[in-house]
Amino acid sequence: MLTFVFVLIFNFFLFRIVQKDPIGSLFRGRNVPQETIDNLRTAFGLDEPLLTQFFYYVRETFQGNLGISYQSRQPVWDEIVAGIPETVALVGISAVLSALIGTVLGIIAAWRRNTWKDHSITSGTMLFYSMPDFWLGMLLLVAFAVVIPLFPVGGVVDAGSQATGIDRFLDQLHHIFLPALTLTLAYLGEYALIMRSSLLDVMGEDYLIVARAKGLRDRVVRRHHAVPNALLPVVTLTAINFGFVLSGAIAVEAVFSWPGLGKATADAIRGPDLPMLQGLFLLFSAAVIVFNFLADVTYGYLDPRVED
Amino acid sequence: MTTRLAMQRRRATTVRVWNQFRSSRQGMVGLAVLAVFVLLALTAPLLADVRELNPVFARSQGNPQWAPPSEFGPLGTDYIRRSVWAQFVWGSRVSLFVGLAATVLTIFIGSVVGIISGFVGGRLDAALMRLTEWFLVIPFLPLAIVLASILGRSVWNIIFVIGVTSWPSTARLVRAQVLTVKQRLFVDRARSLGAKGPHIVARHILPNVSGLILANATLAVPISILTETTLSFLGLGDPSSASWGKTLEEAFVNGAMIRNAWWYFLPAGLGILIVVLAFTLIGRTLEEIANPRLSSER
Amino acid sequence: MSEPLLSVRDVSVTYHTSSGPVPAVRAVSFDLERGGSLGLAGESGCGKSTLAGAILRLLPAGTDVDGQVILDGRDVFSLNPGGLRAVRWTAGAIVFQGALHALNPVQTVGDQIAEPMLVHKTARNDKEARARTESLLGRVGLAGNRADSYPHQLSGGQRQRVLIAMALACDPLLLIADEPTTALDLMVQAQVLALLAELKKERDLTLMFITHDLSVLTYACRQLAVMYAGRIVEEGPSWEVFDDPSHPYTRGLAAAFPTIGDMSSRLAPSGLGGDPPTPGNLPEGCPFHPRCPLARAACLPEEPELRKSGDDRSAACILV
Repeated sequence: MLTFVFVLIFNFFLFRIVQKDPIGSLFRGRNVPQETIDNLRTAFGLDEPLLTQFFYYVRETFQGNLGISYQSRQPVWDEIVAGIPETVALVGISAVLSALIGTVLGIIAAWRRNTWKDHSITSGTMLFYSMPDFWLGMLLLVAFAVVIPLFPVGGVVDAGSQATGIDRFLDQLHHIFLPALTLTLAYLGEYALIMRSSLLDVMGEDYLIVARAKGLRDRVVRRHHAVPNALLPVVTLTAINFGFVLSGAIAVEAVFSWPGLGKATADAIRGPDLPMLQGLFLLFSAAVIVFNFLADVTYGYLDPRVED
Repeated sequence: MTTRLAMQRRRATTVRVWNQFRSSRQGMVGLAVLAVFVLLALTAPLLADVRELNPVFARSQGNPQWAPPSEFGPLGTDYIRRSVWAQFVWGSRVSLFVGLAATVLTIFIGSVVGIISGFVGGRLDAALMRLTEWFLVIPFLPLAIVLASILGRSVWNIIFVIGVTSWPSTARLVRAQVLTVKQRLFVDRARSLGAKGPHIVARHILPNVSGLILANATLAVPISILTETTLSFLGLGDPSSASWGKTLEEAFVNGAMIRNAWWYFLPAGLGILIVVLAFTLIGRTLEEIANPRLSSER
Repeated sequence: MSEPLLSVRDVSVTYHTSSGPVPAVRAVSFDLERGGSLGLAGESGCGKSTLAGAILRLLPAGTDVDGQVILDGRDVFSLNPGGLRAVRWTAGAIVFQGALHALNPVQTVGDQIAEPMLVHKTARNDKEARARTESLLGRVGLAGNRADSYPHQLSGGQRQRVLIAMALACDPLLLIADEPTTALDLMVQAQVLALLAELKKERDLTLMFITHDLSVLTYACRQLAVMYAGRIVEEGPSWEVFDDPSHPYTRGLAAAFPTIGDMSSRLAPSGLGGDPPTPGNLPEGCPFHPRCPLARAACLPEEPELRKSGDDRSAACILV
């Protein structure tokens, strides 16, 4: 919670340093009489001391007023909220898929350590992890939307589409496929690596030998004793990642013109639309803080060793 | 411990580490690949004319637009007639330079904070750790974007931004190691012999921490390079320099994908991929040397 | 006379490490009668735990194991995986050292005890398994509701009792106790030993007790075998061996641990200097000769075989 306060302070002062003249920027390039500008300045409280301005800022923020976007002249809050569902859908699907697939791959790699399965999984995931995620997106786009036009080139539905209901949903699925594939491939390496590491640590523990000594099958030992213990750090990672992946999709959304928070950020950079960037930054930080908190709670719930 | 003995020890350790490194296939492959790219970057003037990066010059040469490698070698041209090969070769300089410089900054800040925090302890440690935690919670890319947007688009700003946003994880690692070293008896013994703080840091703590710092640095370079690439792709790069990230940005913005101008966006991305892989391999090898994993013995 | 329950014949175990092959156990042989009790003593690294692991084939993959182990009439080393799984825990069970590591941290203690019962059909369903678990816990001196505890919620002594209860889950014929009293304080040690003795009598168990504390063995076991550098260097009835050792190593080992209850032994000087040899780097000839107060030229170049040193006794020393 304290962290969020820091974020607010940081956000405010950082932008104030740059925005020497917020009102002027708002009306850039337009002929507005000086008097109007002065009035607005007073209305916005910009002639008041900095600390007072900060209090206004905090109050406004909690009331959902994040300012006006330079580029669209719409309230930042509205713009952001519009982008949330798209990003949550894309990032949510990718995060879940990459966590599931990555974890399974990590288990295989650790259990069959040093075999070709392990090496191919480790190398493969390292390969995907080493490339810029948006570049992977570009490759997939060219391969499956341009060269072999299997998928659309961008957007969330076909342009000008009037479809509703199931048709619309299918169209959306069609559009989400490539960007989701890109993000999933890009992120599953981390899960695979962590799970493998964690499972290897667990595999050195005595209670696995005990489990075998009891006459249990290899499969059972793995599923009931090894994996549950190895899963704990992975669960924490997953929860934390949900917070971070929200902002990690910025470049990929740009590549696929996916109208979410990421694309909004990319567009805001080109302005630079500072109120938008400020608002987005606040949201991204909040997301991470919330998910970190959830991760702690979840871990405490899952690991019996953590005292309430 | 006399200085000469310490130096002999250090030399012996370096030799030992090098021998272990040499026997690792992944390490040597990484090193070889990296060497190739460093050579590429250094010999850029010999490999491609820097004037080819200038669109006015390119036009004056009568270069075709969007020419594939079959028409204009070795890597074709882009939307304003510039040689892609020249961009690749000269871009390697910027990408490598920014990656390394940013990492140096990251490691420097991280190590200093980590060492001070771990060594001094107490309130200062608590305060620095709070700061570190805070930085770790803030999503990395948005923070970099915000800073870059505010500071403006130049190579040095990018280096600064990456350094300032990446130091926390190094700081945490270094601090943990410093705490471990501090617990060992000989630091207490040195203290009881009357050694002062800075002396202890230099003589005892630094040598034991430097291995970890090196391994961490090697693994931090990929992050720096990828971050620079992403920032450039989003338009925050230095407009006057031609990093690989910038090449990708221009390719994207000017429709290279729709045209399937693979020669334009493939090489830069591949370059990043290979260099990052090389550093990762080297880093993992160093990590394994510093920290032999017991589980692989079982 | 009936067949011994456990017959170990010429068993050798070699680990493969990054620094080369390590012979942890070298041609060990012994028999254990039904209802008997054998103590296996030696310092760390002498191969006793490895030997215990070898009996139920619990050593890591890639380890070379030679020789033969006959348990309850079955040739353990040539069993197929299914047969091996059936034998484990039902014919022979191991009580591991009670450190937190032998129990699964995220599973309740009761579940861990009940698990083999359900696998080997010793209990037909969960209810029966639960009932048996609680009764076992009671027998080892713990409250039945402890079944719902997690390992970290129990003390060291309680965890050791849980491990004993767990080992008895499928009514094994042979119970191997690997350092069950090490890392426990003296009071608890005595309690655990007493418990093991009672259980042995009640259930007619055959006991194999492994430890580095010789005095404990003399109390719990009828037979004693002393291991050094992967081989048995002395064996015989436990009190006799302890009272009048034939092998210089045994003499040193006996002196190192005061007898429970015998105050004078506390004051006797410890007999062993130096460290045991690393298995990969054994000295020439008799592996004990570098530390032996009675070493002489004849101790090299060959390693002495076990020679008779009394009724039912033997020792691997040229002085016998």
